[in-house]
Amino acid sequence: MSGALLDLVRMNAPLLMMVIPFGGAALMLLNGSARLAWFIACGAAVAASVVGIDFAARLLSGATPALAIVAPQIHVDGVGAFAGALIGLALVLAVAAIGASLKDAGVREAPVALALVLCGAGSWIGALMAGDLIALIVAVETGWLAAVGLVAVNAVRERAPLNGALRMLSIGSIGTALMLLGAAMIGRASGGLSLEALPLAHISMINLAGAGAALVVLGLAVKIGVAPLHAWAAATLGRGNAMVTFGVGVLGVLGAASVLCRFASYAITAPEIGAAISAALAGLGAVSVVVGSVQAVGARNLQRLAAYAGVSQVGCVLLSVALGSPAGFAAALIQLVGFAAAATAFYGGAAAGRVKSLAMLDGYGQRAPLASAAIATGALSLMGAPLTIGFLGRWRLVEAGVGAGWWWASVLVIVASLAGVFYGGRLIERMYFRRANAAYAGDGGVWRVALGPALIAAIVAIGIGFAPLVLLRAADVASGMLTGVAT
Amino acid sequence: MSAELALLALLGAPFLQAALIIVLPKPPGLRDLIHIGFSLFAAVCAAYLVNAVAHGESARIVLARPLPNVDLAFAIDPLGAMMAAVLTGLGVLHAVHAAGVVRAKHEASPSRLLAFLALAMAGVCAVAFSANLFSFFVAYQALALAAFPLVAHRGDEEARPAARAFLATLLASSIGLFLPAMIWTYAIAGALDFQAGGVLAGRVDALTANVLLVLFVLGIAMAAIPPMHRWLPASSNGPFPALVTIQALAVLPAGGIGVLKVVTFVFGPAMAQAVIAAQALIVLVGAGMVVAALIALSRQDIRERLAYSCMAQSLGVVMGALLALQPGPFAPAGLFAAALQVVALACASATLLMAAGTTAAITTRTKVADYAGLGRVMPWTFAGFAIASASMIGMPPFAGAWAKLWLITAAAGSGLIWAAALASVAAILTFTHLGPLAANALAARAPTDAFKRPDGASILLAAPVILAAAATLSLLVLADPLAVFLSPIWTPGAP
Repeated sequence: MSGALLDLVRMNAPLLMMVIPFGGAALMLLNGSARLAWFIACGAAVAASVVGIDFAARLLSGATPALAIVAPQIHVDGVGAFAGALIGLALVLAVAAIGASLKDAGVREAPVALALVLCGAGSWIGALMAGDLIALIVAVETGWLAAVGLVAVNAVRERAPLNGALRMLSIGSIGTALMLLGAAMIGRASGGLSLEALPLAHISMINLAGAGAALVVLGLAVKIGVAPLHAWAAATLGRGNAMVTFGVGVLGVLGAASVLCRFASYAITAPEIGAAISAALAGLGAVSVVVGSVQAVGARNLQRLAAYAGVSQVGCVLLSVALGSPAGFAAALIQLVGFAAAATAFYGGAAAGRVKSLAMLDGYGQRAPLASAAIATGALSLMGAPLTIGFLGRWRLVEAGVGAGWWWASVLVIVASLAGVFYGGRLIERMYFRRANAAYAGDGGVWRVALGPALIAAIVAIGIGFAPLVLLRAADVASGMLTGVAT
Repeated sequence: MSAELALLALLGAPFLQAALIIVLPKPPGLRDLIHIGFSLFAAVCAAYLVNAVAHGESARIVLARPLPNVDLAFAIDPLGAMMAAVLTGLGVLHAVHAAGVVRAKHEASPSRLLAFLALAMAGVCAVAFSANLFSFFVAYQALALAAFPLVAHRGDEEARPAARAFLATLLASSIGLFLPAMIWTYAIAGALDFQAGGVLAGRVDALTANVLLVLFVLGIAMAAIPPMHRWLPASSNGPFPALVTIQALAVLPAGGIGVLKVVTFVFGPAMAQAVIAAQALIVLVGAGMVVAALIALSRQDIRERLAYSCMAQSLGVVMGALLALQPGPFAPAGLFAAALQVVALACASATLLMAAGTTAAITTRTKVADYAGLGRVMPWTFAGFAIASASMIGMPPFAGAWAKLWLITAAAGSGLIWAAALASVAAILTFTHLGPLAANALAARAPTDAFKRPDGASILLAAPVILAAAATLSLLVLADPLAVFLSPIWTPGAP
């Protein structure tokens, strides 16, 4: 009985990865208790994560898992499976950490906010399993609106985040319009909207298809917050509480970046439009690395600094994807893991002490040694320090870039790391070599809830830096299944 | 004890040392005992490794494999073993001296200071024993991070910007220059392991070799090559025990060791392809030696003067290493000169900085004008100061003389007479900024104003100075055995 049930779950794993978070969200909306909602959210996140990891492990270990065909819009590929499992894991850590800030959202609003976090994660996973462009855009838009809603819900007590929500809504709408226009152009030029068919499609109007794919990329870049399309990011993340930073700054950015990787894996392998997509991604990535790094160096707000550092990191992801080779996609996947670990450690360490400004970090190392260790690890990984996952990701990017003759990409990676030395070094100096000038805001046991996931993420960031072979192999296998697997 | 165990103990014991010092800050006697005891243990381990290398043993420990075909690994070789033995041996004297200084000056947070001194020594040992470029890069960055708190130790408005400049220069140059060179090497050779004869030998064209050499050498900012030297004067804001570690025992020597390792094990001696960059860099370091010695002459604060003086000496290490890339029979002479120069620099600068630290602790004086006649009150300390000054200048029979002799021989033998002339000018300028200072301290009339401690220096402060000064005589008898010991690094086929 249990074996049959397990087989059923495994056969429907891609669908369950999407449905479980939505189911959990629905359950949460049925009760009014913030604490109970949090437990339900944790349960749903863990269940989705377990299903996703099991599915990805089976797929990436070389086995061909039997999958139930429940809808033609679902299509499984290496990038989707890898990133889906990653989002599931990040969701578990995010939901666990959000437990610290249930009070911030308000007792009545907390279940709604948690439900939106789950809906967002489910939507991004859905976009990673989408079989055609329309399904992908619908899923992306659902995830984006969930993120907007999350920011708006958290604006109930403090009006400032409402500005962020409005910016997200207005700028995101432009992104959606671009994606829809791009999808229409691709459909017109190639005769279909199926992702699976795109690499092999006979494209009659190459320029139209190339422009369409570039518009889809641009639309997704808006959702990620890639520079210079990141006007919403600072307004949203700089003023948000832990729910916003985890729900949007970690899950939202990770989800959108993963979807962009996946779309690019189909578009870039289409011979007629591959070069155009590669150029668009490279340009966006280069600008994002430079602008994000410069803004992070100048940031005075910790969360803005993290947001800008993330922009720079995502720029590196785009550069990796732009290479268009399996090595480039593998580098991108590793960097997505690095981003998830570093951002979770960073935001978690900050949430544990309710740190907002850089000045509040003064003496943080003495006041909250574990939280400051998590922030320091996140900063070190973002700057690409050796023996962290950030170094591994950048190394793989440079290696792939050098292999393709893209020396300028290597230079940009070095620029990102150099900027990381300045902003990361400043954080570490404030935490460990200055005296405290602010009272520690961690209250009772609540802060420990945020600290646990941050420490786990920090350990992952360091652990993978020391022993990366499993991740490297998984990323290599996933990037070898760029355009899907036979089911 | 096996060589692997000794190597692991040498690299790992300082972490335990630091932890114990932090956990057991009181009583101060126990704290100092731990510090000195572990330093002694490190020196014993290093001596054991020298013996192991001399008997042809090999040892390699792999801590992780963070990249395909690239290990975080440490291995013994003659160069690393010799450097570790010299630096940890002097480290014992420094540990005693540091215990004396923190007591005499009532230094704030002494446990933190001593703990990071220990970690910095672990860092330089890791640099010395790094088995490949990646391990060197990691050890280098770890050393920079361990030394950063030493510069920032006072935590005041002067120390913080200085510490930031220190860290920014070291990390930025290593990430901006060394890291690309390392990745480029990996792309060419498919590996990063240090190999006798050079991992790049026969694999690169002239242009690549020249660019790589510039990136590697300037990327090792710890060697204080202009314009990457700004961290060195910035570090002058640290307390004296920190200065000894940074300028004499850990950071500055690590730069010299790094350049030596890169030249020896990445390029290989007499690698003709990189000769243009090597000569350009020799011009740069030669001019840098002269200018640094001139700047030292203009500085009135003893810490700044010694910082620039040490910089001039450190550039001598780099010059020697670069001379090894000149085609001809004098390449080994360049390497040998560089190795001797590291030893001479460590002995002499440790002595000078410890003597200055003793003087500051006893008299609170740090201006060179205030040193007049102090030798009459503190004869042991200033005897050591004078001996170390003579070694820095290059006066026989002290260590600096043999290093400079080999340096000038290698330069002249390679046909670079101007390089020999620059080294000689730098030595003369070193005489002008250290010679009169030492002579004035010994010969002038004793000061009449009251000291902080009129009874003079305690044994903890005076004995390490005079013992370190005595070490500058070591090359008088050890130069030949050292040449035999080090010969495998310039002999192809050696480990």
